[in-house]
Amino acid sequence: MLELDLVAKRFANGHLAVAAASLVVRESELVAIVGGSGCGKSTLLRLIAGLERPSAGQVRLAGRPIEGPSPEIGIVFQEPRLMPWLSVADNVRFGLAARPRIEADKAVREVLRRVGLEDFAKAWPRELSGGMAQRVAIARALVTRPKALLLDEPFSALDAFTRLDLQDHLIALWNHDRPTMVLVTHDIDEAIALGDRVLVMGGRPGRIYRELSIAAPRPRDRTAPAFVQAKRAILDDLRLARRPAAEPADGYAI
Amino acid sequence: MSQAELLLSESGPGPRRAAGFALLGERLWRPASALLLPLAGAIGWEAGAEQGLIDAHLLPPPSQLLATFAALLAKGEAVQHIAATGQRVALGFFFGMAAGTVLGATTGYFDLARRLLDPSVQALRSVPPLAWVPLFILWFGIFETSKVMLIAVGVFFPVYLNLAGAMHGVDRKLVEVGRVHGLSHARIIRRVLLPAALPGYLIGLRSGLGLGWMFVVAAEFMGASEGLGFLLVDGQMMGRPTTILVAIVLFAVIGKSTDFAVAIVSARLLRWQDAFKPSGSA
Ligand SMILES: Nc1ncnc2c1ncn2[C@@H]1O[C@H](COP(=O)(O)OP(=O)(O)O)[C@@H](O)[C@H]1O
Ligand SMILES: [Mg+2]
Repeated sequence: MLELDLVAKRFANGHLAVAAASLVVRESELVAIVGGSGCGKSTLLRLIAGLERPSAGQVRLAGRPIEGPSPEIGIVFQEPRLMPWLSVADNVRFGLAARPRIEADKAVREVLRRVGLEDFAKAWPRELSGGMAQRVAIARALVTRPKALLLDEPFSALDAFTRLDLQDHLIALWNHDRPTMVLVTHDIDEAIALGDRVLVMGGRPGRIYRELSIAAPRPRDRTAPAFVQAKRAILDDLRLARRPAAEPADGYAI
Repeated sequence: MSQAELLLSESGPGPRRAAGFALLGERLWRPASALLLPLAGAIGWEAGAEQGLIDAHLLPPPSQLLATFAALLAKGEAVQHIAATGQRVALGFFFGMAAGTVLGATTGYFDLARRLLDPSVQALRSVPPLAWVPLFILWFGIFETSKVMLIAVGVFFPVYLNLAGAMHGVDRKLVEVGRVHGLSHARIIRRVLLPAALPGYLIGLRSGLGLGWMFVVAAEFMGASEGLGFLLVDGQMMGRPTTILVAIVLFAVIGKSTDFAVAIVSARLLRWQDAFKPSGSA
């Protein structure tokens, strides 16, 4: 279980990027977060990943507070961020620095097979398409078998076909060992198609504005009336969430 | 293999083989193409001297240069001079590179070191390296130490500047991947920063080596009893342009060879790079 307890982040320049965000993500749950640009989605994810320290509040994974980056939490960024001087296999192995060679090799082969890139183990990152590079990034995050996988707009730089393809792929990977997953996206369809829940974030300061549970089984028909209805509701919420918060949440000050 | 066979074999294992031959041809042709201009120049020069168009006393033709070089070789002097100069460059390059690498990596990684050290290093850089010569001579005498020091100074700056600059320019996002995977500072330097800075560092080494060859001449002009720079001075004193030209050609050939060696190693180390390749290159 991933818990955010009144988490806030004020940057050194005084900007309050996230204010009093509370959230519980159940084990193996897939939560999608949508929100306008600059509303603090990436900051929220970086707080969960331990890449930023909260100014107030606490993030806990399985009851333990998160103090910094840990192998239990994997993260995939908007850009693949592959090391250009490492082959695909070595990039995936990057996450396994501490493991014995043979064990690491096996894990790398296995995860590359799962993302469908076993034939590209020896390729250089420059030889990959955008979608393939992002699959390597996902493989690198998954190879340590994290309890939680965080994705920050992972498909936003890809064309529509590749994006659909990778969305299906992501669900298949998630089904394999069911990590808790938080997916930030600005694609509302993607959020509704993939999430067990969709959270709508509002900005200035960043906060979780509303949430919507999606019970329909996957794969979801994107033209079904319920899907379209959910989309309309989220669009309305996004519009409302864009207005600055009148005041911080009750009983909260930093 | 005929043209038709080459075309027909294209669906089998043939293309690889054909590509292999093409590659081998390419490998040989590339360095060979670099020799075309000097060879043509030498032939024209020789012919010009033969026809009396060029004054062979001032600009001796290649045949005379070869003869002089052969004589130097026979006396064992050629090897002695080349070895003396080569050793000075090698030692100066080594010390300059070591200092440039350590200091460059330090200011490249630690912000405090950068703020403390970098301005002073930059200030020293604007001192013409030859200005150090009198001081080095006072400190170390006119023998090897001061020569090696002068070369090391020349090598140091490009190595330092390129490494520090390259480390500073490393994409923060890649460093963050190291942090995500729980790497320590030392591991991040070794596994992310140094490889990412390698292209800039190699450029620094290459220009450092070039400067090493420049400064060895200055160092040998300071007074030397052997070395290619000595040959230059000697040729001037004795009024022998042939000796001077032999030394110049040797500088060109050896300098270019060492640069070529570094370039080959660089290309091998940087084969992952997604860099622009001029049209027509393999
Ligand atoms: N390191 C930082 N220092 C100061 N302000 C920041 C920093 N990172 C992000 N911000 C600001 O915080 C806000 C939220 O940023 P971010 O979380 O990246 O938004 P999103 O991912 O939703 O587009 C933005 O206004 C951004 O300018
Ligand atoms: Mg963002």
